[in-house]
Amino acid sequence: MMNMDESNPAAVPMAALDIQGDGRWLSLHNRFVSDSKGKEPELLFVGDSLVQLLHQFEIWRELFSPLHALNFGIGGDATQHVLWRLQNGELDHINPKVVVVWVGTNNHGHTAEQVAGGIGAIAYEIHKKLPSAKVLILGLLPRGKNPNPLREKNTRVNEFVQQALPTLPWANFLNLDDGFVHSDGTISHNDMYDYLHLTRAAYARVCRPLYDKVKRLLEEQDRMVS
Amino acid sequence: MSTSTDEENPAALALPAEDVQGDGRWMSQHNRFVLECKDKEPEVLFVGDSMVQLLHQYEIWRELFSPLHALNFGIGGDTTCHVLWRLTHGELENIKPKVVVLWIGTNNYEHTAEQIAGGIQAIIHLVNKLQPQAKVVVLGLLPRGEGPNPLREKNARVNASLRTALPRLGTAQFLDVGSSFVHSDGTISHHDMFDFLHLTPSGYAAVIKPLHELLLQLLEETPEEKTATLA
Ligand SMILES: [Ca+2]
Repeated sequence: MMNMDESNPAAVPMAALDIQGDGRWLSLHNRFVSDSKGKEPELLFVGDSLVQLLHQFEIWRELFSPLHALNFGIGGDATQHVLWRLQNGELDHINPKVVVVWVGTNNHGHTAEQVAGGIGAIAYEIHKKLPSAKVLILGLLPRGKNPNPLREKNTRVNEFVQQALPTLPWANFLNLDDGFVHSDGTISHNDMYDYLHLTRAAYARVCRPLYDKVKRLLEEQDRMVS
Repeated sequence: MSTSTDEENPAALALPAEDVQGDGRWMSQHNRFVLECKDKEPEVLFVGDSMVQLLHQYEIWRELFSPLHALNFGIGGDTTCHVLWRLTHGELENIKPKVVVLWIGTNNYEHTAEQIAGGIQAIIHLVNKLQPQAKVVVLGLLPRGEGPNPLREKNARVNASLRTALPRLGTAQFLDVGSSFVHSDGTISHHDMFDFLHLTPSGYAAVIKPLHELLLQLLEETPEEKTATLA
């Protein structure tokens, strides 16, 4: 159902091109790998700028640092970049019980089905390397101030991912959209300052259900072990 | 140091950002800024790219800049061309700020250091023309990348050319805030720049102190128009 093979560009691992010329993407990946050598995270977040920016706000220290969480978010990443990173060392030195995946809104040029396939490929890659870990896939958020094609595409990606979940028993799905789109169809800059990235206030709000879900998954994992 | 005249300098051309992704976010942000000009009376206006925009998301903005009645017109990814377009399409209307803080240029990937410095000077000229009462503060481009790389050298050359040009221009002050980020081994710490480009809250703290002090001084120098006392 989800196309996760080579014919889907969103599911073919690919390192990001250093278009700008200061090597930042690879520096970040290398730091994640070296960071993971010295740590025993119970929880790993991996994805694009929505993951990366979460790490910059106090809510991370309040809720997720205490859970021994690592943050492997890189702004601009699409599914194929995350897949490359996971296959090239980021999972080799750690054994987290829960891996949160939030990526796909940057997969410009790929169809909703291809993006869902890319997310599926990431889930499978995590399961292959960490067979006992639980994967939590976060739904893509709406974007843009006004209704636009990317909102519809992200909704379809979420539908495709949810349809595939029964085939991934170790994977879970959570949609953090608690009503970002108002009745007049607009998104407020008080929630997304550039109509894509979350403000501190929005992060604080969506992190509540996220924290509860992650906590439950961690507890389930602990029960299985004990 | 010849600055190419504004017409030929591609970094001095006013251009709207192309809606490549398809959700109209750039124009939505610009339109919001134009609206904010109508309802608000900022004393300080920040204009630029994600360096400016992200500053607005952290607690430090509320602590240090909201009290100065500052507005933030930062858009991630912007170049000098985008800022020139925005400022000529409503973002300098219906307001009369005392200070304009400009932080732009690190995203001008297709332009040379010379062109970028020229693009920044074109913005200064525009602000001087449309907001003659406003003092302009130009923040130096920060170093970037974990290790030494061509973009660091290019940004340093932009800063060097602004450092010499602006005093002669006399209508803008140059403030280099990035000198403390490169360590002796040539690396930048992710504690200062989480992606070796954008500042962390603590990275901003190092940058903001000198800027905040300068702003306080500039704001004190310009008497309150309404309550200018002759005593
Ligand atoms: Ca006004």
